[in-house]
Amino acid sequence: MVLAFVTLLIVSAFIFWTTEVLPGDIAARVLGRESTQEARAAFRESRGLNRPALERYVSWLAGAVRGDFGSSLVNDRPISDVVLPRMNNTITLAIYAFAIYVPLTFLLSILAALYHDRLPDTIVSVFNLIGLSMPEFVIGTLLIYVFSVSLGIFPVMAQIQRAKTFSDVIRNTTLPAMTLAIVMAVYSIRMLRDSLIEVLDSEYVRMCVLKGLPRTRIILFHALPNAIVPALNTMALNLAYLIGGVVVVEQVFAFQGLGTLLVDSVAVRDSPTIEAVALIVSAIYIAANLFADVMAITLNPRLRRG
Amino acid sequence: MSTPASVATLPWPKKAILNWSRLPFTLRFGTIILSFYLLIALTASLWAPYDAAKTGTGRPFSSPSSDHLLGTDQLGRDIFSRVVLGADDVLFLALTSTLVSTIVGGVMGLMSGLLGGWIDQIIMRFFDAVISIPFLVLALLMIAAAGPDLSGNYWLLILAVVVVYAPRTARMARAVAVDLVTRDFVTVARARGESVLSIVWRELTPNAIGVLLVEFGVRAGYAPIFIGSLSFLGFGVRPPTPEWGLMISENRAAIISAPMSVLAPAAALAVLVIGLNLLTDGLSRVFGRTNKI
Amino acid sequence: MSQSTDTPLIQVTNLSIDFWSHHHWTNVVRSVSFEVHAGEAMGLVGESGCGKTTTAYTLLGYRRPNSRIREGQVFYRGQDLLRLSGKALQGIRGRHISLVSQNPTTALSPGLTIEAQIIEVLRAHNLGTSANEQSARTLELLQQVQLPDPERTAKKYPHQLSGGQQQRAVIAMALACKPDFLVLDEPTTGLDVTTQSQILDLLAQLRAEQHMAMVYVTHDLGVISLICDRVGVMYAGELVETAPTRELFTHPRHPYTRGLITSIPSVRKPRREKANLLRGYLQRDQFPDGCRFAPRCDFAQERCFMEPQSLELVSGNHMAACWRWGDIKLPTVADASVNDEQLTSLVGGSLLNVENISCAYDIDRSILFARRKPQTVVQDVSFDIHPSETFALVGESGSGKSTIARTIAGLMQPSAGIITFEGHNIIPLVKARTQEQRREIQLIFQNPDASLNPRQPVGQIIGQPLRIFFDLTGTAQRERVEQLLQDVRLDGSYRNRYPDELSGGERQRVAIARALAAQPKLLLCDEILSALDVSVQANVLELLRGLQAKHHFAYLFISHDLAVVRTLAHRVGVLYKGQLCETGQVEEVFAAPYHPYTHMLFSAVPSLDSQTKSTSVVRGDIHDSHKHTACPFAERCPWKVGDICDEVEPPWQPTSPTHGLRCHIPLSELQTREVWTEHPS
Repeated sequence: MVLAFVTLLIVSAFIFWTTEVLPGDIAARVLGRESTQEARAAFRESRGLNRPALERYVSWLAGAVRGDFGSSLVNDRPISDVVLPRMNNTITLAIYAFAIYVPLTFLLSILAALYHDRLPDTIVSVFNLIGLSMPEFVIGTLLIYVFSVSLGIFPVMAQIQRAKTFSDVIRNTTLPAMTLAIVMAVYSIRMLRDSLIEVLDSEYVRMCVLKGLPRTRIILFHALPNAIVPALNTMALNLAYLIGGVVVVEQVFAFQGLGTLLVDSVAVRDSPTIEAVALIVSAIYIAANLFADVMAITLNPRLRRG
Repeated sequence: MSTPASVATLPWPKKAILNWSRLPFTLRFGTIILSFYLLIALTASLWAPYDAAKTGTGRPFSSPSSDHLLGTDQLGRDIFSRVVLGADDVLFLALTSTLVSTIVGGVMGLMSGLLGGWIDQIIMRFFDAVISIPFLVLALLMIAAAGPDLSGNYWLLILAVVVVYAPRTARMARAVAVDLVTRDFVTVARARGESVLSIVWRELTPNAIGVLLVEFGVRAGYAPIFIGSLSFLGFGVRPPTPEWGLMISENRAAIISAPMSVLAPAAALAVLVIGLNLLTDGLSRVFGRTNKI
Repeated sequence: MSQSTDTPLIQVTNLSIDFWSHHHWTNVVRSVSFEVHAGEAMGLVGESGCGKTTTAYTLLGYRRPNSRIREGQVFYRGQDLLRLSGKALQGIRGRHISLVSQNPTTALSPGLTIEAQIIEVLRAHNLGTSANEQSARTLELLQQVQLPDPERTAKKYPHQLSGGQQQRAVIAMALACKPDFLVLDEPTTGLDVTTQSQILDLLAQLRAEQHMAMVYVTHDLGVISLICDRVGVMYAGELVETAPTRELFTHPRHPYTRGLITSIPSVRKPRREKANLLRGYLQRDQFPDGCRFAPRCDFAQERCFMEPQSLELVSGNHMAACWRWGDIKLPTVADASVNDEQLTSLVGGSLLNVENISCAYDIDRSILFARRKPQTVVQDVSFDIHPSETFALVGESGSGKSTIARTIAGLMQPSAGIITFEGHNIIPLVKARTQEQRREIQLIFQNPDASLNPRQPVGQIIGQPLRIFFDLTGTAQRERVEQLLQDVRLDGSYRNRYPDELSGGERQRVAIARALAAQPKLLLCDEILSALDVSVQANVLELLRGLQAKHHFAYLFISHDLAVVRTLAHRVGVLYKGQLCETGQVEEVFAAPYHPYTHMLFSAVPSLDSQTKSTSVVRGDIHDSHKHTACPFAERCPWKVGDICDEVEPPWQPTSPTHGLRCHIPLSELQTREVWTEHPS
């Protein structure tokens, strides 16, 4: 817990430093190179940019803790107003993607591990390798090609902001969620499969076989809980990827989420917004990691104290 | 966070490395693919039918023909030429950035693990923090910080990859070092009174190199996708460079009318990544360790 | 034991098993046939890689995924287990045939409680219908294996138990369905001797109660002698001799069995003469067409290399796979003409002097959490070592033996005490010592796999100290390396090999050569024999003694193995929980009066000589007690006097200028407590 907060603190400092301190004169960047000295000075004055960096960081952090990220450099709107609906959209997408990802990962990795080095394993491995080799934007594009253009089941653009009913939401988010799920699954299937194979080869699983236990019981009660622990970190990492790395997928589907917001902000160099998004996303990652550690402890009694 | 347990128990491949036919299939296949790409990257400029940036070599979005093996894109550029000429940039960016980050991360991680104490704690806390910023966000932060003047600069891209990769590699290398320093052969060296540098050089490096090599492969396998993604978002290389991610992004809307304009660069990228992954898989088999990302 | 003449319970016929490795099949078990009758205990003994474990697992109808049964059958009550369906096997395993495996730590599922793991066996075989019944049975089983506080233990996870307790839990699990056949795969290897002795007692008792048949796989002939009616000796995948236990030990017929028996050092009688040891070591691809033992056999003739041998009846139910068994004389167990090279230099000054050292480890060094109290592992230990002398430190795991060696080597700072070497006070940490001091004290570790850098060829490994201490490089270094290799009886060409191309014994020889390279005066040997097979161990022991005679250095020999200590050491210190409880000349320590702990250690050691064992005096477990008592052994002591042991530190009672022990019991009383007498042979 303590560690997580320390990490978050360092992250916030790092983010602040890269966006506010590193680039040099923000006024010149916002107002353009042709702006006058007076205009720049006035801008700095109004934004409090003349204060020392440390002071600015502290007041920014204090604001961030209360959910106040300041206002956008571009249109002066409070950032929280922009970020919050985007965050909702992204979280909806993330939950949906996770709902596809988890069963997919479990089913395929158990299948591959059970038929280790035989046909099902090879098929899963080949699909995995193909998935691994394709960037999200290619997978997304192909899915659009198949499901939207050829089959016409789902819309090309995932316009969640216009979705009113639940079925609308599903219709609009299925393709991006599938893309995310596939990309995440590719990594964790490999991980979980390796981990399962290792556990299935362990002495205690052999012992279970020689105790005459039924196969399903061995897998569900002995192999899986122990195999998941090392794979959990990848899964947590995936969650973070999903929250933060959705950038590309959102862009492919023109999805109004945090990712597109970040890309747009970087494009117009709206540093307060960039900071806000980066901080939120990192906080979610750290929380996910903490969650994974807690899960690992519940699954593995050896990690419990005492 | 779990650290890989006992990563250093890899047997040294020795002579196996010289005996091509006994190497794992994946390693051989990966090597062939990578050599093929290297060959194209080095020679494409000599035999590519058109200049990569030359527009109007044919009707926009024309389908494959003898003039244009893979057809043309929205500006009438020859897709085949752009794909083969792109190999150069893609390979350069991916391999250079991964190499730099493996060296930087590896050295920092090994030192950190060896020195231990509060120096180690500080370095690792900081790296942990950097790792907890999702990598694309981190890369975008770097690019935003660099400002518009540097947009599309190769060295900026490489720096972004290094900042993303190096901490992860460092953590890996540190785990190896921490595991190795408790080994009896290191203890023996210490009992002989050998210097830290001598221990690093003679006892640790030969044992860590296998893990770092695998780590390099894993990262290199993802680097083209990473850089491609940045290009796709518009923050990577700048048009009209024939970078595959950028090409996919440019022609995405035309996937129905001219599928080749998207599929060809996508396939080129996919096969390269497959090759690198196979190579890594093979390497990790040679070093006796299952590949975990 | 009663031997039924009707059909055997288990019958193995002509079993051959191959393993798939490096792209081809390698034969690991060849034409093995034996049978086990109901209620009979059969031992399978052999060195690592002889196929004994592989054979044992087929008794459960199990084969490893990368292996194949080339031919043969394993009948259990007339059904061939190797041809049964998975479903049918599932019904037999755990129900009629159970397994107790070698390492309980890895054999128990880490995420489930002991109770859950026992109940699932009952449930899988439909025994005990209600949950209550199952819990009751679980408690009964845990009581049966004498686990302390069964109700609480049942709810514990495997990692919360000590090694000995874990093995008891595994045994309870194996007994759950009252099987009539139990397969035990090295069930006590890796446990301390005292724990081993307790487990063996338990097994003997269970066997008497439940009349189970057993196959007991082990490398330890001593253990076999305690528990088995009949023994099968395996060598290189073949069963080379089977005989009733006593018969085998007194009249071994196969040359390999003979070698094996002579290799075993005895705790009961010192043996310092050069024994008839097994020589050599063969890779699988070096086996001749005929007898696989022929290249290592002193009796081999041309015919041995050509024709494979099969088991021939020698007498009664004694069989040996050697056609020359009749020509081979029984081992003349050398009479106890101990040519004890009495130490001449004892009078001289001591080489190393350890005075009142204590050591402690910091448990937690994280900066974010509060420091916990450092744990003391060595307390107030003093001893000295003379030039050319072997001083042994004996104790169970966790007694602090290795910590003492590390402290002397300068790898750890003692929290108190002084160490002097050749009369000079040596600075605690290695960095601050002189080059000369570093050279003169060398360390050899238990596990040569970990102590040799896997990425360096042998020449470089041994060359390193030559370069550092003597500035030898190039040809001079190479010549010296070859000479050192010859000193440890390895060929000079080994220079170019990597550690993983060597066998365990060869690796340990390289580690010894590396230490010799420094021309030390004191060699710290930390359990250097315990990872080796008996026959290899015997050879390395010989080597160590030969080297000492030649180079006159001193050994600090750390071991848990009393028999080895008796063979090698001049003086012994017995360590318990970081405190010395007895020191003296080896003959003094190995004879009454004993310290109660020394006594317990002795009575725990199985030996070929003891056919039946006196009821074990072993109690408790070194890891069980955490209560602080004035005498660290008080809690487990069978002769505990009373509260005085808990409250008052026991006095040091010298019995001779060289021997003394720390106990409240008067020496005169200790003198009378003797369990075994030396057997005249």
